[in-house]
Amino acid sequence: MRRELERVEIPGEHEARERARAVVLASLAARQPIRRRRSLRPVVALVAATALVAAVVSPTGRSVIDSVRERVGVEGAAPALFTLPSDGRLLVGSTTGAWIVQPDGSKRLLGDYREAAWSPFGNYVVATRRNELVTLDPQGALRWSLARPAISRPSWGGSRTDTRIAYLSGSTLRVVAGDGTGDRIVARGIAPVAPVWLPRAPHALTYATREGRLITVSLQTGRELWRTARGKAVERLEWSTDGRRLLVRRGGNVEIRDRTGSPFTGIRPADGAISAATFRPGSHAVAYVTLLGGRSRVSLLDEPSRTLLTVAGAIAQLAWSPDGTTILVPWGEADQWLFIPRRGGKLRAVDAIASQFEGFPRTVSWCCAS
Amino acid sequence: MAGGRDERAWVRGAQRGSASDLEALFRLHWPRAFRAAFLVVHDAAAAEDIAQESILAAVRALDRFDRRRPFGPWLHRIVVNRAIDWTRARQLRGEIELLDIVAAPPEPEPLDGTLLASLAALPPEHRAVIVFRHLLEYTPGEIAELLGLPRGTVNSRLRRGLDSLKEQV
Repeated sequence: MRRELERVEIPGEHEARERARAVVLASLAARQPIRRRRSLRPVVALVAATALVAAVVSPTGRSVIDSVRERVGVEGAAPALFTLPSDGRLLVGSTTGAWIVQPDGSKRLLGDYREAAWSPFGNYVVATRRNELVTLDPQGALRWSLARPAISRPSWGGSRTDTRIAYLSGSTLRVVAGDGTGDRIVARGIAPVAPVWLPRAPHALTYATREGRLITVSLQTGRELWRTARGKAVERLEWSTDGRRLLVRRGGNVEIRDRTGSPFTGIRPADGAISAATFRPGSHAVAYVTLLGGRSRVSLLDEPSRTLLTVAGAIAQLAWSPDGTTILVPWGEADQWLFIPRRGGKLRAVDAIASQFEGFPRTVSWCCAS
Repeated sequence: MAGGRDERAWVRGAQRGSASDLEALFRLHWPRAFRAAFLVVHDAAAAEDIAQESILAAVRALDRFDRRRPFGPWLHRIVVNRAIDWTRARQLRGEIELLDIVAAPPEPEPLDGTLLASLAALPPEHRAVIVFRHLLEYTPGEIAELLGLPRGTVNSRLRRGLDSLKEQV
């Protein structure tokens, strides 16, 4: 019997072990009071609910901190964005509109759109004006448009053959097919947060209500799959690539929930508030920014967990390269974009970002190899 | 397989904050913890969560752990109880609908689907004692202690579970 039980093949056994190993080793840092020199600025991420994990300062991160904390801006920054350090393209939202940046640094203004988001495989873009939802190809050619009042927070999900766009019209959640047909109301009383499509479930959509509930609904059956109790106002939602973890940012903290909406873990800084957080593509590792006393600390909850850098000013967004090797930190205070290699190495900075996009970008997302 | 002395040294090291000792403990115990959870819940993602969370719970409680005692039974009790709780909760919440909708990545066919299917037909509490007895190799007395059950209950669950498996396999 024992032999039989040991022969049972478990899907993804090796990958599961490696993921768990990373999390368990990272947890050791949180279990102990970490003794550090005063100059290293303590970094403590208290994890709510079921697990506690902390970020620690690595030698790589430390050198970066030393290099940038005395001044605003990284010295030796490139004067313009000549190339991207990893494959993929950027979708940038600035005061003038939505831009696409190619890997060679060339960029194109798609139009005067307020918000923009990639289609699931980066072949198209959905963008919004005040009362218009449009889809475009990466050259900016219009595919179709739809007029609705007060449009915001578009989110495009689905498979290669069947896609849908969720968006808000005022506080009403609506969904339209990727070809612009079948627009309909899904729910009302929605928080101003982009809804997110559950990966590998082309019809399941997760959204937040104004009461701070999280709800996942199957658009195929019209039934709620799960909902949570009321809570603080939600600021951001994101599913991990495999659809097994949901990142919820609210109240200065991050909650990580499982695919049924149950709390799994979280990040709660001992001081300060989390202003941005995002999963590394293809993993459950989380990069996040803690705002404290006019400074932003960028940390990575991974193996090894560590602080990547601390800078003056507020950082409100992070964007991973599609292959998860590089993280882009838009640093408005210094008018720079910082590209940080996940595994350490030379930080790359690009200067004069505002002049390149006619205003420092409000949003940036990095998608899909072209 | 590491001896009891190695394990005690690793527990002591992990209590002091040694990552390498914690990793050694992890490598020793993860395979069985994960497998035990999977055999109770029959869901690889949930088994990963359960085994991972159990080890995290054990790490958090390391300071209170009496290192003269073996680490394995302590961890196995946490794993199996969480796996039973998860299975019950899923039954109550009707999670099946969600699991049907969330298409799993392509997975290889299990080598012994018959045994798995037969196990799945048992109530989670019965699966747990089968796993304790035949995968983790505890005696009925030890299982009774670990699960906080009368020994007679453990014996009857084992007997009924095995009878059922024999019928179906």
